[in-house]
Amino acid sequence: ALCSRLSSIRAASSCTNGQTGCHFLSLANLFDRVIQHSARMHGISNDLHSEFELYFLPSKNQIGRVSRNCHTSTILTPNGKENAQRIAREELTEVILKLLVAWREPLWHFHQNMAQHREFNNFSSNKSLEMSEMVHELRRGVQKVVEKMQMLGVINSSLGNLGSPEALLASDRAEWRLMNDYDLLYCFRRDSNKIQNYLKILKCRIVPEHGC
Amino acid sequence: MAVLLSSNLCLILLVSALDWLPTPASAFLIDWDRTTSSATLGPHFTDCISRDQETFRCWWSPGSLQNLSSPGALRVFYLKKDSPTSEWKECPEYIHENRECFFDANHTSVWIPYCVQLRGQNVTYFNEDDCFTVENIVRPDPPVSLNWTLLNISPSGLNYDVLVSWKPPPSADVGVGWMRIEYEIQYRERNATNWEALEKQPHTQQTIYGLQIGKEYEVHIRSRMQAFVKFGEFSDSIFIEVTEIPSKDYTVPLTLVLIFGVVAVLTVIMLIVISQQQRIMMILLPPVPAPKIKGIDSELLKKGKLEELNFILNGGGVDGLPAYATDFYQEEPWVEFIEVDEEDAEGGDKEDNYNSDTQRLLGLPHRNIEGFSAISHPDDDSGRASCYDTDLPEHDTQRLMASLLPGQPEDNETCLDAPASETGEKPLIQTQIGGPQTWINTDLYAQVSNVMPSGGVVLSPGQQPKIQENTSGSERETQKGGKQNEDVEGIKEQKRNEPQFQLFVVVPEGGGYTAENNTQQTSTPPSTSVPGAGYQTIQPQPMETKPAATGDANESPYILPEPSQSQLFTPVADYTVVQELDTHRSLLLNPPPSQSPSLCQPQHPLKVPMPVGYVTPDLLGNLTP
Repeated sequence: ALCSRLSSIRAASSCTNGQTGCHFLSLANLFDRVIQHSARMHGISNDLHSEFELYFLPSKNQIGRVSRNCHTSTILTPNGKENAQRIAREELTEVILKLLVAWREPLWHFHQNMAQHREFNNFSSNKSLEMSEMVHELRRGVQKVVEKMQMLGVINSSLGNLGSPEALLASDRAEWRLMNDYDLLYCFRRDSNKIQNYLKILKCRIVPEHGC
Repeated sequence: MAVLLSSNLCLILLVSALDWLPTPASAFLIDWDRTTSSATLGPHFTDCISRDQETFRCWWSPGSLQNLSSPGALRVFYLKKDSPTSEWKECPEYIHENRECFFDANHTSVWIPYCVQLRGQNVTYFNEDDCFTVENIVRPDPPVSLNWTLLNISPSGLNYDVLVSWKPPPSADVGVGWMRIEYEIQYRERNATNWEALEKQPHTQQTIYGLQIGKEYEVHIRSRMQAFVKFGEFSDSIFIEVTEIPSKDYTVPLTLVLIFGVVAVLTVIMLIVISQQQRIMMILLPPVPAPKIKGIDSELLKKGKLEELNFILNGGGVDGLPAYATDFYQEEPWVEFIEVDEEDAEGGDKEDNYNSDTQRLLGLPHRNIEGFSAISHPDDDSGRASCYDTDLPEHDTQRLMASLLPGQPEDNETCLDAPASETGEKPLIQTQIGGPQTWINTDLYAQVSNVMPSGGVVLSPGQQPKIQENTSGSERETQKGGKQNEDVEGIKEQKRNEPQFQLFVVVPEGGGYTAENNTQQTSTPPSTSVPGAGYQTIQPQPMETKPAATGDANESPYILPEPSQSQLFTPVADYTVVQELDTHRSLLLNPPPSQSPSLCQPQHPLKVPMPVGYVTPDLLGNLTP
C-alpha cells in the first residue's frame, strides 16, 4: 500500500507546473499505478468489512440482513462490463471521480469514530486510517490521469466539473451521515470494487494492449 | 455514534432471534445448518453461482414435497433492487432438467442486490437470505493447461523443486481486467489424505519446493476473485514424479574413478619405493662406516683373493687401481686409517691370537700356508694384509701391501720382511719371515709409517729391533701404550722417538703399481703446522717419474708424487696417507711438512693440504679430477 501510495503521490506531485526535469510518465504507467492503488484500497475495505462482520452475525452473501441504501446510490454507474464498455470514456471517468469524491468525507469520519471507540483493535484502526487516506490519494491520482488524457487529447475537455470536486460533493453532503458504520463499510466495499473495475476498463479502452 | 452502535446491536439481536424460528423455505446458504431434517425442508434454492461476473445461474430443489418436483410446478422470481419501485420478475430462462434458472448478461447487473424466490401454486417460498450481489457469488472456473517442469535437484539427490504453470480460465475475462483472479495450488502425496496448500497469488505459475524423489505427487489448483471469498472448483489433478535415475549415473562413475585413482597412486608409490630401495635403505638405515684402507678393498682381503689383490696393487691393469681406488673412495668417503693398536701388556691369550694369526699368515707348518687367508680373521674390519708369503720368495717382484693392514704389524713385518731376508739384493719387502718366535713379541698392529722407494714399507709398531736390523733407518714407533686415533697432532708428538719400521713397497718392473717416493722421515716435528706432517711418499728408485709434478692430467688423483727421490729414508710418521697414484701406479704419500715445500709440489690443480688422519668426503672431491 505504501508503494502504491507513494507512486500516486509522486504521480500527483510531479510535473505540476510543467517544471523542467520532470519525469514524464506514460499514460499506461499512470493507469497502472492508479489501478494498483484501487486494488489495494478494495482489499483493505474488504478486510475491514469482514472484520466488522465478526462483531455482527456473518451474512451469507455478505449482503446483510437489511437492505441498505448507500449514499452513492444516486450516482448512476454502469452495472456490467458491457455497460461500462459502452458508455463514453468521459462519462466513465466522471463516474470514477464522483465516487472517489463522495467517499472522502465519510471515510474520514469513520476513521475518527474508529479511533475513539476502543472496542476495535489497532489493526482495524490503522486500516481505516489507511483507507481514508487512500481514497484521497486515489482521487488525486485519477485527476492526474484525466489531466494527462486531456493533454493528450484522448478525451475532450468538455467535462468541466471534473476539475472541481467540490461541486460533486455538494449533492450528497449529508446523506452519508445516516449510515451506520457497518452499512458504510458495506457500501464502500461495493464502490471500491466498482472503481477498480471501471479503471481497468477505462485503461483498456484508452491504452490498447493485448487482451482488451 | 454510540447511539447508532447500540441501535445496531439491538437490531442484530432482533434479527438473530428471528433466525431461531424455523423457516419453511430456507435459503441457499452454503454453510446453512444441515441439521434441519430434510423432511421438513420445503422447496428452496440450493445455490446461485456466477462464473464470469456477467451471467449467473440459480438452482433450486423441491425439497421433501414430491408433488412439486415436476417441472413447472415451481416458478422462480427474482427482484432486482436497482430502484425503490422494482418488482418481482420471473426467471428469464429456465433449464428444467437441471432445475436451473439462467440469467444472461442482459439480465445480470453487478453491484445490485438480487433476491430470488420460488412460487408454487398459491405458496411463495421466500427467504431473506436469498439475496445477493453478483460480485459476491462469483466462483471462477479452474485454470486450464496445468503442467510442471523440473527446476533442480538438491545436491543430496533426495529433493527437487518443480515449477507448475497454467493458464487462466477462459471464461474469466482477465485480459480486460473485468476479473482479477488469484490462484491456490494444493498438492499431496499419492496416498495421503491431507492436501498441502500453497500461498494464494495472482500469477500463472508457482514453484513447489522440497518434493522428494521417488514419490508421486498429486497437484490441483483453483481460483477465486481477489479480495473475495468464494473459490471456484478444483481443476483436474496432475501427477508429478521424479525418479532417481539421473543421480545414480553420477555416483557410480565417481566411485569407480576414485577407486582407480587411489590404486594408481598406491602403485606409483610402491614403484618408487622399490626402485629407490637402496637409497631409502641408506637413508633409513645408514651403514655404519667401517674403517677401510685406502685403495684396498677389504672384501678381497676377507675372501682371501690374494691374487686379485696383488694384481690390483701391482697395477695389473691400466685402469685397474685407479678405478678401483676411485671406487673405494666413492663407496666409503669416510675412509680413515685404522689405528695401530699396541698392547704389549696384554695377556697371553692375545699372544696366542697373535700366534695363530701370525702362523696363519706365515704359512707355518702347523698352519696351512695358504692360510694367508689369515684373512679368515674374525675381525672383518681389520684390513689384514694378505701377504703372499709363498709367492714372495719365488717371484722377483714383490707385492706390497703397504698401507695395508694396519692391523697386524707383525704380519706385515713377516710378509714384507720375508722376501727381504731371502733376497738380499733387492731390498724390497723386508718382512720378517722368521720363526714364529720372532714374532711373538711383535704387536698385532703396526702402522705403516713409511714406504721406501725400494718398495719397503716402514712400519712403526711397538717394537722390533729385528726389523730395524733388516731395514735401514727404521725407527721405532712410539705408538706404544695405546691406539692412535686419527689425531695427527697427537701422533706427531710421539713420533719423535718412534722407532719405525720400514716397509718397502714392492715395485713390479712391469709398471703398474710403482712405489712411492721414499721420503722417509725419521722424525716428524710435531710443531709442523702442515697437517700433512708425517706423511711421506715413497718412490721407487727405478721409476722416477714425477708425473704429478708435470701436472699430468692422466694422473690419478690419489697420487701425490714427491720429487724427493734422493731421500730414501726420511722420518716416518705414524700415519701415511696415500695421496695419489701416479701414472706409474705408485703410491704417493704425503711428504712431511718440512720437506714438502722443498719438493716440487705437483701442480695438481686440485691439490689441497691433506688432513693427517683421513680423507673427508669433501677433500676427496678435491682429489678427484
